[in-house]
Amino acid sequence: MLLSDFLQFALNGLVTGCFYALTALGLSLVFGLMNIVNFAHGALFVLGGMLASVATERLGLPLWAAIPAVLAIMWGLGVVIEAGLLARMRDAHILPVTLVTIGLSVFLVNTMLMLFGTEPKNVKTGLEGAPIFLGDVIISQSRILAIGVSVVAIIATWLLISHTRAGRAMRAVFQQPEAAALAGIPIARIHSFTFALGTTLAGLAGILLGAVFVVDPSRAEPAAVKAFVVIILGGIGSLPGAVLGGLLLGLAESLWGGFVSTGYMDAVGFVLVIAILLFRPSGLLGAPASRVG
Amino acid sequence: MLNLRRLLAGLALLGATGATAVAQPQPVRIGLIEPQTGPVAFDGTSVIRGARLAAEEINKAGGVLGRPLELVIADGACRPADSVAAAERLITAEKVSVLMGAFCSGATQAVMPIAERNRLPLVTGVSSLPTLTEAGNRWFFRNAETDAMIAAAFAHGLVEQTKAKTVAFLAVNDDWGRGTVASFRGVFDKMNVTTSVSEFFDHSASDFYTPLTRLRSARPDLIIVVAETQAAATLVKQARELRIPSRIFGVGAWTTPTFLNLVGPAANGLLAGVAYTAAAPGDRNAAFVRDFRAMHNEDPGKYSASGYTTMNIIAQAIQRAGSTDAAAIQAALEQTDFTGPTGNLRFDNKHQIYGLQLYVVEIGNGRAEVRGTATLERND
Repeated sequence: MLLSDFLQFALNGLVTGCFYALTALGLSLVFGLMNIVNFAHGALFVLGGMLASVATERLGLPLWAAIPAVLAIMWGLGVVIEAGLLARMRDAHILPVTLVTIGLSVFLVNTMLMLFGTEPKNVKTGLEGAPIFLGDVIISQSRILAIGVSVVAIIATWLLISHTRAGRAMRAVFQQPEAAALAGIPIARIHSFTFALGTTLAGLAGILLGAVFVVDPSRAEPAAVKAFVVIILGGIGSLPGAVLGGLLLGLAESLWGGFVSTGYMDAVGFVLVIAILLFRPSGLLGAPASRVG
Repeated sequence: MLNLRRLLAGLALLGATGATAVAQPQPVRIGLIEPQTGPVAFDGTSVIRGARLAAEEINKAGGVLGRPLELVIADGACRPADSVAAAERLITAEKVSVLMGAFCSGATQAVMPIAERNRLPLVTGVSSLPTLTEAGNRWFFRNAETDAMIAAAFAHGLVEQTKAKTVAFLAVNDDWGRGTVASFRGVFDKMNVTTSVSEFFDHSASDFYTPLTRLRSARPDLIIVVAETQAAATLVKQARELRIPSRIFGVGAWTTPTFLNLVGPAANGLLAGVAYTAAAPGDRNAAFVRDFRAMHNEDPGKYSASGYTTMNIIAQAIQRAGSTDAAAIQAALEQTDFTGPTGNLRFDNKHQIYGLQLYVVEIGNGRAEVRGTATLERND
């Protein structure tokens, strides 16, 4: 096996890893801060890609205009879902809330099947040009775009949570709601903000999926499963853990596929999860006592 | 209370309209088990579109036995468990006369014993695992080419046309993918054509850089790809991105407009072996393509053609049987002799179709051009 092959596999793994990280980030955020296991995350992810496909393919918008437009819609949808469904169950047990998100996922997937059909769709990037050669290693322009956008989004989310007033308020609300309310933090608004952020991150990952691969409603389930694998790997609720878990899963799948067998690439993630649960049940970066940040 | 009364009045009204409907002949119900969700949802929907056109044409011409055809569609999601549940529901609750489905070979295999137990004919237009027709299930009929038949029909011509000395395979990791690869390898081994790599990928895969990187370093003359529309479109684009110089031959629905649209110029130069292409010659096909376009606003692909011919075969059998008695329909299906857009179709003793036209097409400028034809020969 040549060195250039190894580098190509590693690069491929980093690209898919970025996807996994970005997809898992929103899921981890919503779980870590709101204690909601959002099974609709995969459907929201696909919806982002579908809307971006409509914006770029049918309405002819350029990608730089389509991304903010779709993200704004996703943000609004997040606010609506939180206000219409989740806010009513704020004090409910985790299981009924989980059931609601499963129902929401079924509803969203079938609505998309009805509106957009089963055909796989592309997001037009305007970057169909020549791929870039780094020696023998090849990367396409749309992949570079996807990595760039993912990195920016991940860093922005981290800065938002750890370095802004809004982020501090979010962490305060979910650590100690009563104390946060006494300190004058508007709790309902923070819940709404957090869920909308998670929804928007899912939508962004979906847009990038459509830009590099194709997107269709059947992607919702595998995407959600992968995102759960990633946050279990990285440590549930830990944002750096979601990023690390995503990159690790991408690399592990790619190297396993490259050097052993591509037939069972999806199994790699589950083997990793079993190993993690056996030896470090709180995940790579998850601390057993805290779920925040 | 008021609401309840209003509801009752509404129900009574409904009952009244129902009563007038009884005067019309009862429809003959055909149960379709096709994936409408999951990784092959698009191709499953294509089958349904073809079947719908056939049913509409038949009903316009007076239906079967003087009764209209009614399609009862259930989502099998390409999964054995879902398809079995769908079959049970169609048989017991919907009282269908014939089953059609269930797309994926694994799903069809799971439905076959249900059809046998309920003594109901089951016709598949898609499932290509060779062993299905070897099981001796007399209620099962297959209107599709098998993996082995595709390999036998294409392998020789392909090697002659491309002068390939080494080949590589890239296939979906299921019965169909593995079966097709095994059949091609069997023929190639006899022809002293070397197989350098065989790679398989999962149904839900969206990134193919890893297997393609392996193929790139193997440098085969010819790559044979077995994939459905969703995977095939991404895969071909990525093969071009990685600048893989080998000729690519695709097995699956590689000439559908959705595929050509998704892949764009990257599709140019692809070879595909298909059991149907809208570009196929002949008046019968031209009429089918025209009517399909009028109904669905797109060109039919392999799966739509299969849905169309399968529904016609079923309808003609019911007509020949003279009743919806399952045993009579089963016997009538054995006498099938249907000339449609895919050729003159008949079943052999194992209920495997023959007479199907196969085409080698080359894609250029977003269109499929027929480069060669072969006829599926009787082989039992």
